[in-house]
Amino acid sequence: MSSWTWDLPKVTWIEKRREARRRRREELERTTIPLRLYGVRRGTVVVVTVVSVLFAIFTLIPIAWIVINSTKTQPRLFSSFGFWFAAPFHFIQNFKDLFKNVDGEGIFTHWFVNTALYAVLGGGGATALSALGGYAFARFEFPGRKVLFFAVLASLLIPVTAVSLPLYFVFAKVHLVNSIWGFILPSMVSVVGVYLMRIFIEASVPVELIEAARMDGASEFMIFLRIAVPLMVPGLMTVLLLSVVGIWNNYFLPLLLFSKASLYPLTVGLGFWGSHASVSGDQLLYPLLVMGGLMTLLPLVLLFLFVQRYWRAGALIGSITG
Amino acid sequence: MQGNVADRFAVAVAQGRGSPQVTVPSSGARAKSFSRRRHGRGLWFVAPFTLMFVLFTLVPLVYAVYTSLFTSRLVGGTVFSGFSNYQAILSSGQFWGGMVRVLIFAAIQIPVMLAIALFFATVFDIGMVRWGGFFRTVYFLPFAVPTVVSAIMWSFLLEPEFGPFTKLAENLGFHGANLLSPSLLLPMIIVIVIWEWTGYNMVILYTALRSVPRDTVEAAMVEGATLSKIILSVKLPMVRPALVMLGLLNFIGALQLFVEPSILASFTPNVSFGFTPTIFLYNTAIGNQQYDLAAAGAVVLGVVITIISVGSLMIRRKMRSVSL
Repeated sequence: MSSWTWDLPKVTWIEKRREARRRRREELERTTIPLRLYGVRRGTVVVVTVVSVLFAIFTLIPIAWIVINSTKTQPRLFSSFGFWFAAPFHFIQNFKDLFKNVDGEGIFTHWFVNTALYAVLGGGGATALSALGGYAFARFEFPGRKVLFFAVLASLLIPVTAVSLPLYFVFAKVHLVNSIWGFILPSMVSVVGVYLMRIFIEASVPVELIEAARMDGASEFMIFLRIAVPLMVPGLMTVLLLSVVGIWNNYFLPLLLFSKASLYPLTVGLGFWGSHASVSGDQLLYPLLVMGGLMTLLPLVLLFLFVQRYWRAGALIGSITG
Repeated sequence: MQGNVADRFAVAVAQGRGSPQVTVPSSGARAKSFSRRRHGRGLWFVAPFTLMFVLFTLVPLVYAVYTSLFTSRLVGGTVFSGFSNYQAILSSGQFWGGMVRVLIFAAIQIPVMLAIALFFATVFDIGMVRWGGFFRTVYFLPFAVPTVVSAIMWSFLLEPEFGPFTKLAENLGFHGANLLSPSLLLPMIIVIVIWEWTGYNMVILYTALRSVPRDTVEAAMVEGATLSKIILSVKLPMVRPALVMLGLLNFIGALQLFVEPSILASFTPNVSFGFTPTIFLYNTAIGNQQYDLAAAGAVVLGVVITIISVGSLMIRRKMRSVSL
């Protein structure tokens, strides 16, 4: 199918990253005015620094609390000082309890696997659909293009509640309630993903490259796969990250859709334990709620710390055009 | 429940900043080089997304409107009932009670949060604090914590019997303190949401401040402008669009408040049936199985939020055209 070849500049991923980091640092130096030129008084600097530290402490309090308290036994969780450790050190036991013998059937492991499954399938699907759709909007002038794009963007103004709740009514009608697809398929619709991909492709997949491949007789889909996709990788990563995190955090839709505990994602499972503990008075659930919360946030916080760049890019799309 | 606020902002920012790339290259030269049939191929690429978008966004919306016009009765099945569901919603004290509550919530939480975010964005932009990058990462961290988990952490911290903050309040002399009492519950939710979203708003404002050209600021300095003057009359006007946009998006999110109060409900009995509009709708649909009534409520909520968003976008556009 592909008798043609195309020489892409041979820049490796790592070199590109290093280059980008260097450019960012230079940009920062070029745009920053030295503090002394502002004529800031020393006292002001001290006060502002203290305020910044205080707000950092406020931000870290709940996170420190959950790390510390994941090491406590149930009675210690309630009786000891909240912001320091209390013997016996029960972290490993809590961890084991969480993944093994809750309800005797390892339901948390189930929730963890479910969440990963929903996030991978939904996120992968969202990325694929966004890439295809964004490519169409960026590089084709098919009939109805403008109207469709406007409709897609306008849907962003509709509140989540007003879509999720009706979705549940529709699924109740067609028996997709308590089906994993009832959650995964809607999660594949990412309006922001399509928008991000469109912008990204317009900035980084040259029309000339596509044209040249067409001259060589490559099919449209091959051009997309062989030429466009490799150039879209950073954009695809951002969309994938945004969708995976969105699905991992989603509470309202799965809460509506799933009434079987074996289908819950982590968020709904934790919410269920919380209300179950308060209704039944089963105090033994509390240490598991703490450990479960820690295990639910840990993957995302690690993901955040390692690929911070993409998070910011997702939040501030201006920076991904570079 | 501010989940998709982030998404929306990404789009808002892109519209403002990325507009040069959005404009499609003039079709003159291109139209010659590849035929109409080639353009039509684009439909195949956009079809999968469009199909899913129609099925999982448009169909439910239409179905919600349809359902809201019917009423299911125990005897006699489902009958067309016109606007009676809407009448029931609009005259429901619980629905409006929740609505008023989220409006109060928004009126306090959003200005406070934006003020804090703007303060830190300015401070980091000027470089007043060492290790600004470290602080920004720490402040941004709650954005990575799932809302359910942050609600659980704060529930434990504020719990009326053993919560560390309750104990702290007692040590300070407030005996029998209950941080989740009916009067303190909403302020505490405000604290939680501020904790969750300040860093995110700060990073966006920081980026907007970074884009103020160095020359502009230096020119003001040469003219002898003081620090406060530079901030107020040079930098602030440049971030006003971002500030307005954040205000709107946080407002849309605030009206849909759900996760925090629904998790707190396991730790305090003070989260009522209609604490927020979304909680009201959830309880009506799932608890009471009144789908038609909940559908009408979802439509009302959707319409209210859409009117507010479109309205403020139009006002903003008008203001911009006046100032130009």
